[in-house]
Amino acid sequence: MYWKRIHAAWFGTHFFLLTAVCLAGIFWLIAQGSTILPSASDEYARKAELVATWCLGKEARASNPLRRGIATYLHAAGIQAGYSFFAPNVPSHHRLTFELFYDDGRVEYESPHVRSKAAALRLDSLLDRLPEERYESVREALVRMLAFSVWREHPDVKKLRATFGSVNPPGITEFEQGKTETFQPMFSFDFSLRDEQKQ
Amino acid sequence: MVKFPDSEASVRLNPLGRWCQRAVNFLFPTETDTWLAVLRIGLGLQLIVYALFLRSDWHYLFASSGKGLVGREVGEAIASFESPLIPRLGWLVAIGRNFNVSEETVLSVTWVCLLSAGCFVLLGLLSRPAAILAWFVHLCAAESGGLLAYGADSFMTTALFYLMLSPLPDRYSFDHWVAKTKPKNPQLLGFWRRVLQVHLCFVYFIGGLAKCLGNGWWDGSNLWRSLIRPPFTIVPPDILVRFKYALPVLGIAICLLEVSYPIFIWMKKTRLIWLMCILAMHAAIGLLMGLYLFALVMIIMNVAAFGVSSKHATTQASCKNLDQR
Repeated sequence: MYWKRIHAAWFGTHFFLLTAVCLAGIFWLIAQGSTILPSASDEYARKAELVATWCLGKEARASNPLRRGIATYLHAAGIQAGYSFFAPNVPSHHRLTFELFYDDGRVEYESPHVRSKAAALRLDSLLDRLPEERYESVREALVRMLAFSVWREHPDVKKLRATFGSVNPPGITEFEQGKTETFQPMFSFDFSLRDEQKQ
Repeated sequence: MVKFPDSEASVRLNPLGRWCQRAVNFLFPTETDTWLAVLRIGLGLQLIVYALFLRSDWHYLFASSGKGLVGREVGEAIASFESPLIPRLGWLVAIGRNFNVSEETVLSVTWVCLLSAGCFVLLGLLSRPAAILAWFVHLCAAESGGLLAYGADSFMTTALFYLMLSPLPDRYSFDHWVAKTKPKNPQLLGFWRRVLQVHLCFVYFIGGLAKCLGNGWWDGSNLWRSLIRPPFTIVPPDILVRFKYALPVLGIAICLLEVSYPIFIWMKKTRLIWLMCILAMHAAIGLLMGLYLFALVMIIMNVAAFGVSSKHATTQASCKNLDQR
């Protein structure tokens, strides 16, 4: 009968962690004020989110073995993120455009691209993550790498400007009135790729 | 001390004991391995499709900086910050480097391993080693390309995680046919099916709850936005506009379908309706938004969890015998 006890204990632990992950995600959404709940609930949600993340060991030091153990398990089981896809609302789409400046004064426009549609979904997933606060520290490095992937196909480019922004689609009524999507620039970077290559 | 009872325990129990017995009965029902065969075959197919879909971009997505799209180092650094024990492709590349094998070759071998593991899982040949290999290689790819990952990757990891822990091989596998393996403990099979069932209840309840908290799902605008949002624009907006009065109804239906899944999927009378609606929703996501991998893995998990009959011919007595082994 010991196998039943072991399995029951694992079941309890596994779904306790999954509950904590899911609740942390829900409370985070509420704390961000992106739900239909009144703003008075934001503060409570923030506290509740802290409790949920504490259960996951995320309030401990980064080197804490328990925190690392829980994180490893969550990733191994694929339960490190909640299930609030396209919720509470569908986020804006993001676009990264490169202006390629040549020596002879020509300017071309290009976007990072992949071959297959399955990989294109992943590229869009990356672009949608770029504006998130937690990726702020690696944002420029990521855009630089994407710029480098484009530059490899256009090695005679002198300068490259990356413009990143959100694309807001029209609502149904706006679409019927003939309105199209609007582009809201968020940030841009200039890269002198030839100089970087020399370095 | 409360003893974990067998299902036919006739001892008189206090309220805690009765609660415990109900919990045990819920966690360890007797099951055939048909659901496991469905999960195994489905995930084998999923792995093959996953590998083939990414074939042309595999090196481009997972090569190191300067050779690929963004280089896998950033994704691996983020995963490593969470825990250095999370598997990633960098480990395999480092092992290859010790044997003078180039990064490109290691990535190619990894892709072949994933495809082969998918074929082995599909056929049920060396079922458990193949399931473990598939889980590990897929996890490495998902973590190294963490910034490029999306929902389908998490669900694939979870499904493969449960598959490799489940009592493989099933009776429809090559392993059973070749090695004539003994039937697995029906209660252990039931336990792992319960895990999958409860997991799906979490998925839909949390997903539905989060959607209910957004105003855009109540007026249909979120459904519109999700269908015209690149790269999911398969149906032209001109056609969608014709169904503009149906969008709010569909938006509300999705919210209610998901949030009530943990209730109605357990009731015999409503199970089939809820299952068919959920399968139709995922099929629509796959066809109308091009999220084929996501749709496929969700359909597989739902069919394995709730779509296969749970009738078991084995008597309680034989269960007891298996328990005592």
